[in-house]
Amino acid sequence: MGLSKETLLNLYDTMVKIRTFEERVGEMYYEGKLPAFDIAAGPIPGEMHLYSGQEAVATGVCANLQPDDPVTSTHRAHGHLIAKGEDLKKMMAEIFGKETGLSHGKGGHMHLFDPNLHFGCGGIVGGGIPQAVGAALAIKKRGEDRVAVSFFGDGAANIGAFHESLNLASIWRLPVVFVVEDNLYAISVPKSASTAVRSNAERGAAYGIPAVQVDGQDVLAVYEAAKEAIDRARRGEGPSLIEAVCYRFRGHFEGDPELYLAKGEKDKWKERDPINILGSQLKAQGLLTDAEAEAIQAKMTDLVAEAEAFARESPYPAPEEALEHLFA
Amino acid sequence: MTALVGIIANPASGKDIRRLVAHGSVFSNNEKINIITRVLRGLDALGIRHVLAMPDSFGLAVRAYENAGVSLRMTLLDMAVTNTSQDSTQAARMMVNAGVKCIVTLGGDGTNRAVAKGCGSVPLVPVSTGTNNVFPKMVEGTLAGFAAAVVSLEVEGVRESAIRPVPRLEILREGKLTDIALVDTVVYDERFVASRAIWDTSKICTVILPRVRTGTIGASSIAGNLPEAHLHNEHGAWLEVALGGDAIYSVLAPIAPGLMASVPIQSVRWLSMGEEGTVACSPAILALDGEREVPIVSGEKIRVRLSQEGPNVVDIGAALRAASQAGLFVSIN
Repeated sequence: MGLSKETLLNLYDTMVKIRTFEERVGEMYYEGKLPAFDIAAGPIPGEMHLYSGQEAVATGVCANLQPDDPVTSTHRAHGHLIAKGEDLKKMMAEIFGKETGLSHGKGGHMHLFDPNLHFGCGGIVGGGIPQAVGAALAIKKRGEDRVAVSFFGDGAANIGAFHESLNLASIWRLPVVFVVEDNLYAISVPKSASTAVRSNAERGAAYGIPAVQVDGQDVLAVYEAAKEAIDRARRGEGPSLIEAVCYRFRGHFEGDPELYLAKGEKDKWKERDPINILGSQLKAQGLLTDAEAEAIQAKMTDLVAEAEAFARESPYPAPEEALEHLFA
Repeated sequence: MTALVGIIANPASGKDIRRLVAHGSVFSNNEKINIITRVLRGLDALGIRHVLAMPDSFGLAVRAYENAGVSLRMTLLDMAVTNTSQDSTQAARMMVNAGVKCIVTLGGDGTNRAVAKGCGSVPLVPVSTGTNNVFPKMVEGTLAGFAAAVVSLEVEGVRESAIRPVPRLEILREGKLTDIALVDTVVYDERFVASRAIWDTSKICTVILPRVRTGTIGASSIAGNLPEAHLHNEHGAWLEVALGGDAIYSVLAPIAPGLMASVPIQSVRWLSMGEEGTVACSPAILALDGEREVPIVSGEKIRVRLSQEGPNVVDIGAALRAASQAGLFVSIN
């Protein structure tokens, strides 16, 4: 692996950026919605699925991508888009439904698109998997050396689109990497109650696709596996699958009562906070001091505050534009 | 007293990065359930009445027991599942305390290393379900079950003929034992554990083995493939890899499944029991039995010692021979 100090610190920066963004969105989301929860009220209307806890997966994978490598994501997409390099102001404005947002405020939190970063996401579970295969098919037909990546959850790995996508990607030997973020639950259903295999890495073998399981709380483990998978796709050696075992720190959605969790389960996982894991490793190797870590946190807090101010101050789209910028 | 047998199956083995960087086989957990089913049927056929099993998040042993249709009783250990290697160590300790006569393990070298930390002198029947396996063998589960039963029933002659102590490497920090290895210890020019496996031979600084065997895979094969290896079956080995241009020779070695490398050797030292040495390279990481485990920070002094305190292992063929000689498979009509 032999990562430079600069790369290691970039990984740390990105994870702190994602966490800071998500935790602030999590605070702002409740403005105006309480005491009786009104999902349509406040500056951020609608549902909210935050990525806190899973930062290592998006960060470790996207650090190996170029801006023009296509990425498809899910309903829990903020982390992937930040790791892909999105401007926080445009993202936050979109989440607020403002005119200055990525889609002029008409997509919102679950529909973040940026053609410059070749990024898209959506709320249809597993919907992004065949889209990434389609992008990979285009890449192959054009003879380019780009790689498509699809992030999706363990729940999506039980739908037909997952299996059809792996089959096509394999027989056409497409440059695509499937990243299963196994956060142990499909909404509230534990994997043990929904999935006939313990690890979705086992499913790669059925389609002749190399598949690995990695510790999704350790960004360096994710980075290393993603690098190998992405490099081999770029070399024309076909698809791979990475199952990253991780954990969501804020439940499926904001307001999730999490009655399905075992007592103490989340606290146990929080002991393996991905930011702390990398931070401790860097400090032990003399690559990061406490003061530097604090400075990184302060910088990210400022960046998110700027994005928040931009979003709050931006106008809503005009009513007469309601039917513009729409695909369907 | 009822002969009690333990089963420790690691649900995480067989899925690491060597599927990407080499050509490691995939070992599904449903196949592990099949193997445990066959182990249980082998144990049952030879009269074992009670088995202790390690719990895990997929329920390997429970599912196998449901499939097996056996009359023996299986009890899951009452322990918290952490989904780490600590589960295997903890399970081994609890099985020893419960008085098992033998433990069947399903996993790779890493699984057996974890079990070896807790199993004391209780003999192991290691069944391979991992990748670069040297310690456990590819063996039919039914026969593994037979062998474990034969050992647990203390069939005449089996203890003398079929149970072999193996050496281990002891990792010493400030003179204190902090870890062990059963197959090899590699000083790897990296700083982080990351995806654990090792495959880049340009980063291998030192290879230390508790015993030298030809016909292995992984870093241990570097010593095993030396011309004089056969003269040193009773020795360990300490190889320094030539990082500059001062190699005495290069050895072709299978470092991972389907992944070969020519490794330049600077020096070879054959180790006798109790010998130890100091790791010369830092910062680096120690890979134990094929997995990056122990970061060594700059200037830190780590010593490695060859010891005879490794686990006892059952030679399955010898155990079955002892059983057949004792007439265990024959009934008088």
